[in-house]
Amino acid sequence: MIYLYTKLRSLISYIVLFSLAGLFISPMLLMLIGSVKPEARVLSEAGSLLAFVPGDWNLQNYRDVFARVDFARYLFNSLLITSLIVLLGLLVNSMAAYAFARLQWRGRRLLFALVLAILILPLEAIAVPLFYQVSMWGWRDTYIVQILPFIANAFSIFLFYTFFLSLPRELEDAARIDGAGTSRIFFTIIIPNSKPAFATVAILTFLTQWGVFLWPLMVTSSESVRPLPLAISTFYTLPPLQWGDIFAFSVMMVLPVLLVFWFFQRWFIRGVASTGIKG
Amino acid sequence: MQQRALISTGTLFALPALAGLLIFVAAPFLLAIGLAFTNLRLGSPLPLEFVGLKNFVRLFDDPAFTRALLNNFTFTVVMVPLQTLLALVLALLLNQPLRGQAVFRALFFMPVIFPLSLVAVVWILIFAPGPSGTLNGFLQYISFGYWQPQDFLHDPWLALPAIMLTSIWQGVGFQMVILLAGLQGIPQQLYEAASIDGAGRWQTFWNVTLPQLRNTLIFVMLMTTILAFRLFEQVQIMTHGGPRHATTTVMYEAVQAAFTRQQIARGAAITVIFFLLVLVVTAFQRHVARQEHA
Amino acid sequence: MKVFRLFLVICFLGLVACDRSAQESTASEVTQLEVWAHAGQASERRVIEQQVNAFNRQHEDVRVKLTFIPERSYNAQVQAAAIAGDLPDLLEFDVPYLYNYAWQGHIRPLEQLLPQQLQADLLPSIIEQGRYQDHLYGVGTFDSGLALYARRSLLQAVEARIPTHPDLALTVDEFEQILSKLSAIDEDGAVLDLKLNYPDEWFTYAFSPLLQSAGADLIDRSGYQRSHGMINHVEAVRAMNHVQQWLTNGRVDPNVDDAAFVSGRVAMSWAGHWEYQRYVDAFGADLLLLPLPDFGQGSRTGQGSWVWGIASRSQHAEHAATLIAFLLQPEQILTMTRANGAVPATNSAIERSKLYQQEGPLHLFVQQLREGYSIPRPATPAYPVISASFRQAFADIRDGMPVRQALDRAAASIDDDIRDNRGYPAMR
Repeated sequence: MIYLYTKLRSLISYIVLFSLAGLFISPMLLMLIGSVKPEARVLSEAGSLLAFVPGDWNLQNYRDVFARVDFARYLFNSLLITSLIVLLGLLVNSMAAYAFARLQWRGRRLLFALVLAILILPLEAIAVPLFYQVSMWGWRDTYIVQILPFIANAFSIFLFYTFFLSLPRELEDAARIDGAGTSRIFFTIIIPNSKPAFATVAILTFLTQWGVFLWPLMVTSSESVRPLPLAISTFYTLPPLQWGDIFAFSVMMVLPVLLVFWFFQRWFIRGVASTGIKG
Repeated sequence: MQQRALISTGTLFALPALAGLLIFVAAPFLLAIGLAFTNLRLGSPLPLEFVGLKNFVRLFDDPAFTRALLNNFTFTVVMVPLQTLLALVLALLLNQPLRGQAVFRALFFMPVIFPLSLVAVVWILIFAPGPSGTLNGFLQYISFGYWQPQDFLHDPWLALPAIMLTSIWQGVGFQMVILLAGLQGIPQQLYEAASIDGAGRWQTFWNVTLPQLRNTLIFVMLMTTILAFRLFEQVQIMTHGGPRHATTTVMYEAVQAAFTRQQIARGAAITVIFFLLVLVVTAFQRHVARQEHA
Repeated sequence: MKVFRLFLVICFLGLVACDRSAQESTASEVTQLEVWAHAGQASERRVIEQQVNAFNRQHEDVRVKLTFIPERSYNAQVQAAAIAGDLPDLLEFDVPYLYNYAWQGHIRPLEQLLPQQLQADLLPSIIEQGRYQDHLYGVGTFDSGLALYARRSLLQAVEARIPTHPDLALTVDEFEQILSKLSAIDEDGAVLDLKLNYPDEWFTYAFSPLLQSAGADLIDRSGYQRSHGMINHVEAVRAMNHVQQWLTNGRVDPNVDDAAFVSGRVAMSWAGHWEYQRYVDAFGADLLLLPLPDFGQGSRTGQGSWVWGIASRSQHAEHAATLIAFLLQPEQILTMTRANGAVPATNSAIERSKLYQQEGPLHLFVQQLREGYSIPRPATPAYPVISASFRQAFADIRDGMPVRQALDRAAASIDDDIRDNRGYPAMR
């Protein structure tokens, strides 16, 4: 009886999960399948089940993307900008968080309150004055202007902070007795013991930065430094609108992230479970 | 001696990040506060003038801006409970020993990794008017043809819900993962104790799961609130704030003012209002959360 | 520690890359001429690149360094460069921004720099739109055309009158009768394409001519100080009421796929010269080009496109002017207009263009630009706000707001802006 009950329950769970999964996956399928369809059929079939059938599929849309934009260049720029932000961000934010969580220094409380207040300020809110600032410094149209402002991040500091609070103090105490300085403790004890936190912050930063649109639109002008999300605007602004091309581009833009994420998924979930994210 | 060294190390450790935040977030924000009281226009050769509260007075006089405030509130009030609840349901479903759990989890999380600018474009096609839109086609199919095709993104009543749907699709996976992590962090002994006490499923949920998940839920709701207030990209790409301001948001109005109309001062004033608003709302939420705890 | 080392390497690589992008070669004998052009269609970009190469070969003392700037953020880029003091010597920009840049002092007058003969050869529309405060600040190598594309067979099926000259344009009543007759024989009743899928500036470009055709305007053009009483003039309200009826009665296809006309869903398309090639490929001899309907004071249409201007701070204005003159040679104009389909900017180039010369299928566009049917956008730095306000009004009208209310709001927001900027006084 109990066995039957459990069976039934998991059956219902599966039904719910499968239908939700169907709803979740269909926009992505629409994109994937639209990307290999002849242009004329993308829209005409969008309203029927045919939208999810590749039909006489081909890679023309992908060829079009390569013909219309220098995809490799955009990809390189995105990778460079994003990975620098992620790596430098991991370093400076974790160090700051450690200082807030473990070290005693003047102004600590006040400055931490400031960090928390900054947490809610989105880029859009400060984009205009920041744009003025960097334009005056002559930083327009460089990699620096796309990297430097985003390295320090209040949210990352907050995540590291809560994680470090949960680390047992004994780890550090033992090292300190051995005569290790703070820097050594941080780099040899804290970092190796905080992999999940680093993975989580890295993935979250990567996801946010990979999709940035407004800022590079404002501050860059040449293709040589522009990231991927801007390339897509090439497809909307120049009529005729090619849905197939847009989809092909989207697939190519998401694919690297998907791979990275698939690879780090386990770490990420563990990280979420152990950083401040879960409260 | 030892103590002194420690102080400077702490400052040194915090310095790079703090300098970054100061230069690239705090300074421009202070600049925005200053500019909000001036007449600055992008690249204007006119002398900069102090205009007092004029920008603020104008904003609250402008139906588009007041509508943006209302929309942000509506969006937050609907989205925070809805998205949190859906995320909780998904997390609970996936917290059972099921085959393919990892696949489902990855699937629900996948939209999160899609940049918003792409998500919005795909959903334009889904919400396309007439029977050729995917959603219209789908609804017609499951209602056996009774559904009348709608122009979702141009209907004053449907446009904001359409954006909500897009945002839920894109965002719920993230909340789900956090809640799932929270669920998995609940000590197994608590469940065992509950089952020894003869508690039913619902009782266990109310008395063990929810209280244990409390902090996680507060965090999720806080995050969702902040994200709801920042709503911008979907609007920019899908509706341009229309129809009749039905989907305009505070952030959209700020970007419009500053870049389309070149009215930097007005954009700065909106920024200041935005900051105060989010500060008040989050402080209120934290206050409520603390009260309940006490 | 391995991670840390990797991290250092990547930082280093990043700095090298940053450094490289900041570097600029500075050869001393040849003048380096920095040029910004908009990143239009691939074919346009190729032409510009070829033209620049040809120019570099012809002029050994000048090296042109060409940068393409995407259209979406062009103005932000110009403003940012101006703040930073690094505008290029020669820059292309969309003509509505000309008045802004001239007012801000970013660009300089051209009439002394360009050969008189060349200026005399330009279409009157090019000269008119390039003027601000009695100086010529920008010239384009092409202009744009806006009209109504239609299918001859369908118009004949409803026995519509087919006008052959802007003077004979359909009246708005005739036009609406045609719409309802066409709609009666159409599958979904939507028979008109207004390019509702286009972004931003299209709406001002394509529909503000209606106001002028009705006897109103975006702003009072004597002094550019007041929009109230013009944009919300009774006649403007009447004209936009017509448009609202087309939209709300389901006569207009939403055109999400930008294929309403080529796929045969609609009979008429309100569109620019850039659609000609695609449309003629689809319908051949059945394609018709008609002037926009007359709302009372004669048919009016839009004009204007990208133009070239020289930065005030440029040390090489003479060279920049030489490049403009080079681009305005008939064969250079024709190479460009063959690539983008636009109307050639000089009379001598038009005579040699198969599409635009007398009897050419697109000669209507030339007539419109030459004979005063096209209206340049208001020559005031307030234009970005005027356009944003009108676009907002158009969107509101599309969504059913009473026309009067929508236009009143536009008037108020434009007049506020003009007042805030003290009427945009001359700064020179």
